[in-house]
Amino acid sequence: MTDHEFTDDVGAYLLQALAPDEVAPFEAHLETCAECRRELALLRVAADALPNAAVQMTPPPDLKDRIMAVVNSEAELLQAAGARADEPIRPRERKRRFAGLLPAAWSARPGLALAATLMILVLGGTGALLGRSALDGNDPQVTAALGEAKLIQRKGGHSTLVATGLRPPGPGRVYQVWLKRPGQDPKPTNALFGARRDGSASVDVPGSLQGVETVLVTSEPEGGSQKPTTAPVIEAHPA
Amino acid sequence: MHLVARTDPRAFECLYERHSGAAFSLAYRMVGKRGTAEDVVQEAFLNLWRSGARYERTRGSVRTWVLGIVHHRAIDALRRSTVHDKRRAGDEGIEERLEAKERTEVEVARRDEARTVRAAMDTLPAEQCQVIELAYFGGFSHSEIAELLSTPIGTIKGRMRLGLEKMRNALVAAGGAEGLIA
Repeated sequence: MTDHEFTDDVGAYLLQALAPDEVAPFEAHLETCAECRRELALLRVAADALPNAAVQMTPPPDLKDRIMAVVNSEAELLQAAGARADEPIRPRERKRRFAGLLPAAWSARPGLALAATLMILVLGGTGALLGRSALDGNDPQVTAALGEAKLIQRKGGHSTLVATGLRPPGPGRVYQVWLKRPGQDPKPTNALFGARRDGSASVDVPGSLQGVETVLVTSEPEGGSQKPTTAPVIEAHPA
Repeated sequence: MHLVARTDPRAFECLYERHSGAAFSLAYRMVGKRGTAEDVVQEAFLNLWRSGARYERTRGSVRTWVLGIVHHRAIDALRRSTVHDKRRAGDEGIEERLEAKERTEVEVARRDEARTVRAAMDTLPAEQCQVIELAYFGGFSHSEIAELLSTPIGTIKGRMRLGLEKMRNALVAAGGAEGLIA
């Protein structure tokens, strides 16, 4: 047992009962305190067993049907996008400076200076490519701090962000999608994702993009955040 | 490592088949509403699918990892919808309707594990069991629990740690810890 100020935080940390602003200091402390790490490993056995205490139930069959419908649809969409999905169509000038859109803490991040290629693909409702002629005028514009990204907007449906050259978000972290409307702070979505080993990633943007000024992606702690805590790695302006 | 490629729905289906029962059970235990529990499980598994089921062995077994994601999503749901007030009035009778029948070895094992864990929790003093339940299944922070119980935060944190310690000892004594975390 440890005898310092973090002694009792081990249990609360494992139960996810620490206040959000207590988590980072505790995790920083863990890096330097072997005794707390040992205690954490011991108590994790109990914390990991807790979900098994629930009465064991069988999920409704239609839940699987709903989930697999989305999964199969997205797999087909990715396969349909195929080689064309990686084809750059035309770069565009950004409508505004990246930093001007963001809170001061974000605009100071040097990684944003690496903003890269802009690419656009528009897919029809069934996932068929409409081709470049459909892109005149109001194309989505996408900026990636690292690598490349594109926003695939489906007619009458939600959209998909596809990225390449993305670094993994790191242990215990995920990328989270945010929707920003004019004059408002970015709103969190439940779209959390990681990057594959080759740096590619894709994620569905939930809901309609009507009235959305910018789709942002930031790195957040596992489970996501209610407010962005890091600078965005992707910024997309829907068409 | 990625467990599931985004072009391989069948591999994802296997992952779902293996872990959806425990996931739904945990989600329902936490949010107390069938519809919300289904939303939590759906969010969690689609998150897994869209991330390519990126799994790190250092975080424990695949099941522990999946249930950790479900737990996060359920806490989000609790905090989003003030379910803290509503969750106590769960869907009456649903547990009987959806409780897993002991048809397969996996389901039998799940129910045996559930009994082992509940027995370990039963060894705790009531006040330690209470704070663990409120924190883990209720999604309450230590300060919220302190306020609910009119008890100092330090005492609440101490009960959490001591409770987990006793529960671990009970699990090890029962010989169930290895199986539960494998």
